[in-house]
Amino acid sequence: MNARYWLDKINSLSKPPQTFNVLNVCGGHERSITQAGLRSVLPQWLRLVPGPGCPVCVCPEADIALAITIALKETVSLLAFGDMLRVPINSAALHKLLPKHIRSLENAKAAGADIRPVASPLEVKALALENPHTQFVFFAAGFETTMAPVAAMMSEFFSGNLPGNISFLISGRKTWPAVKHLLDDEQSAPIHGLIAPGHVATIMGAKEWQFVANDYQLPTAIAGFDSESLLQAFYCVRYQTEIKKPTLQNCYPRAVKPEGNKLAQSTLEQCFSVNDANWRGIGSIEQSGYQLRAELNNVNAQLKFAGYLDEINEAFARDSMPKSCRCADVVMARILPDQCALYGKSCLPRQALGPCMVSDEGACRIWWSAGLKGSSLQ
Amino acid sequence: MKEKKISLAHGNGGVYMRELIDDIFASKLHNDFLNTEHDAAHLKLNNSDWAMTTDGFTVQPLFFPGGNIGSLAIHGTVNDLAVSGAKAKYLSLNAFLEEGLDITDLEIIVSSMAIAAKEAQIDIVTGDTKVLPFGHGGGIYFATTGIGERLKNLRLNHSNIQPGDKILVSGPIGNHGIAVMMAREAFGLSSDITSDSANIYPFVECLNALNTPEKIKCLRDPTRGGLNMLVQDWSRNTKLGVMLKEDQLPIEPAVASVCNMLGYDPFNLACEGRVLAAVSPELAQDVLQLWRELECGEQASCVGEFTCEHKQVVMETSIGGQRILQALEDEPLPRIC
Repeated sequence: MNARYWLDKINSLSKPPQTFNVLNVCGGHERSITQAGLRSVLPQWLRLVPGPGCPVCVCPEADIALAITIALKETVSLLAFGDMLRVPINSAALHKLLPKHIRSLENAKAAGADIRPVASPLEVKALALENPHTQFVFFAAGFETTMAPVAAMMSEFFSGNLPGNISFLISGRKTWPAVKHLLDDEQSAPIHGLIAPGHVATIMGAKEWQFVANDYQLPTAIAGFDSESLLQAFYCVRYQTEIKKPTLQNCYPRAVKPEGNKLAQSTLEQCFSVNDANWRGIGSIEQSGYQLRAELNNVNAQLKFAGYLDEINEAFARDSMPKSCRCADVVMARILPDQCALYGKSCLPRQALGPCMVSDEGACRIWWSAGLKGSSLQ
Repeated sequence: MKEKKISLAHGNGGVYMRELIDDIFASKLHNDFLNTEHDAAHLKLNNSDWAMTTDGFTVQPLFFPGGNIGSLAIHGTVNDLAVSGAKAKYLSLNAFLEEGLDITDLEIIVSSMAIAAKEAQIDIVTGDTKVLPFGHGGGIYFATTGIGERLKNLRLNHSNIQPGDKILVSGPIGNHGIAVMMAREAFGLSSDITSDSANIYPFVECLNALNTPEKIKCLRDPTRGGLNMLVQDWSRNTKLGVMLKEDQLPIEPAVASVCNMLGYDPFNLACEGRVLAAVSPELAQDVLQLWRELECGEQASCVGEFTCEHKQVVMETSIGGQRILQALEDEPLPRIC
């Protein structure tokens, strides 16, 4: 079985009376789809819609503001995943707290703050061991896939193996509550099939996605990241519709097991409680955010630098997006990236206004770098 | 220029750098010889044809798998002359050393430089050193100038490029970019990817030997900005479109897998030992055959062609889809998952 085989199978399906919208959840999926040019080879009736899968895009402004403030005002080295560095904060609120030209971690870095990009928690630990006299704050935004290795590192606190010079600023989110929120959202595009995230399911287990088929009667398939697995998943969700049996299929069985990775799950459980959490531009989503447990108070940067919290929370009480920016609508599958009036005009990778144009997981950025435009969702 | 301050993106070989060169340097320093689209200037000295180039080297870290800043400085200079159709003869060298630099490291670097120079059959005939206070340099910066004699049978210029001309690459792309990046920041990954840093003159010499100047249109080495930026330059300068074939891009599996994990595109990453050639379609197979017989040329490949059907750089993906490539704008950053 290869990609061509599944493409032929899709083409052999009968054309449905209306466009068949397939939502993907993972920024990695959107990237694979776009880079392989899958939209240009699939039949017109099949529309691939990017969804909420970019943790950087949904990281609340208050969290970024706190990271910037700590980096600028405290004698620490702030470590963050690379694509977080350029996410701009647009709220005028920040200007009450910090110099006007500082809108992102990258600006703060240019203004002299010690901010370094990292790509994994292993790197964070190595830096902390190499520089025992530096205090490190690890600002980690991410979904389950990122939070699991962060938790694995954090749990070394319990065995006394975590270097004493690291604390954590966590902006972790769970994906399935956002998908549920999206499916309940009346403004989102009608979704006819769901491609569940392969990496998240590897950690959390396939069965976490069973609710989509059960509660929403929506055909669902978990996909990997190559064209073969993605095309198989598109075929599966459409075929389920044809036979009128919505279910959950696993098209990424070599990585995804029904129960997932039990060890990673228990480490997550050990380090985090799950609470309602704010998603940038979208608002609070029930039971969707990871919060450090009280046992980890000693390494919780939010508590360590609690002095800034009141001021920031007050300033950012109303999370704001830049004027006319529709990142939140892109994340919620209400529009496609190029339906935003700023896309490719005033919002470009070189001067991103909205967070979706910053990260390589952001749908706008992915679409722009593949030259996509001229589409319409509704 | 729109920007008020120089940022790192002004050095990445992409759109920002082009604006910096055009709007500040070229506009104030223009003269009959300065052409910022070329890697070297063509000069006539004593009735023979010469090419002159200059280059700066600031790579971090100073040592990386497959080379160091010393060998890189020689290869970079020699290669700029090679793709201008010239055989490098003489180099000058400026060394900016930072206070505190380990002398042993410097000795190793200069020794590699000597080996690379000998292999490329060039002499470093003059130089200068400066020492900068601690914190004012990355250990070593080098600046070189090279001059070389132009080869008789090559008349390279992008204005010769026609629709239908083929684009050939001499070997796998992205190795240098990934090798240096991983030497700088391990990202918790390990690999045995080595830089492709090498003297590419043999790839040019064999084209000269073909004695078909009208069929070899243009040569470039895809350094900063990678293959994509170079093809974007060609497309912009010729006002032609380019069709690339993903299947035909030589990319080592290890490079592809690191790129996949970190969210990089191999065609945006620097090479330091590859040549990209635009040639007439009837010559493409001959060139590939010659290149494949050379060391490091085994994977030489025809990766695309020029077209007048559109004006963009479009890649046909493995599954037959299309993807438009854009010129690199900002510095690539590793993504989170």
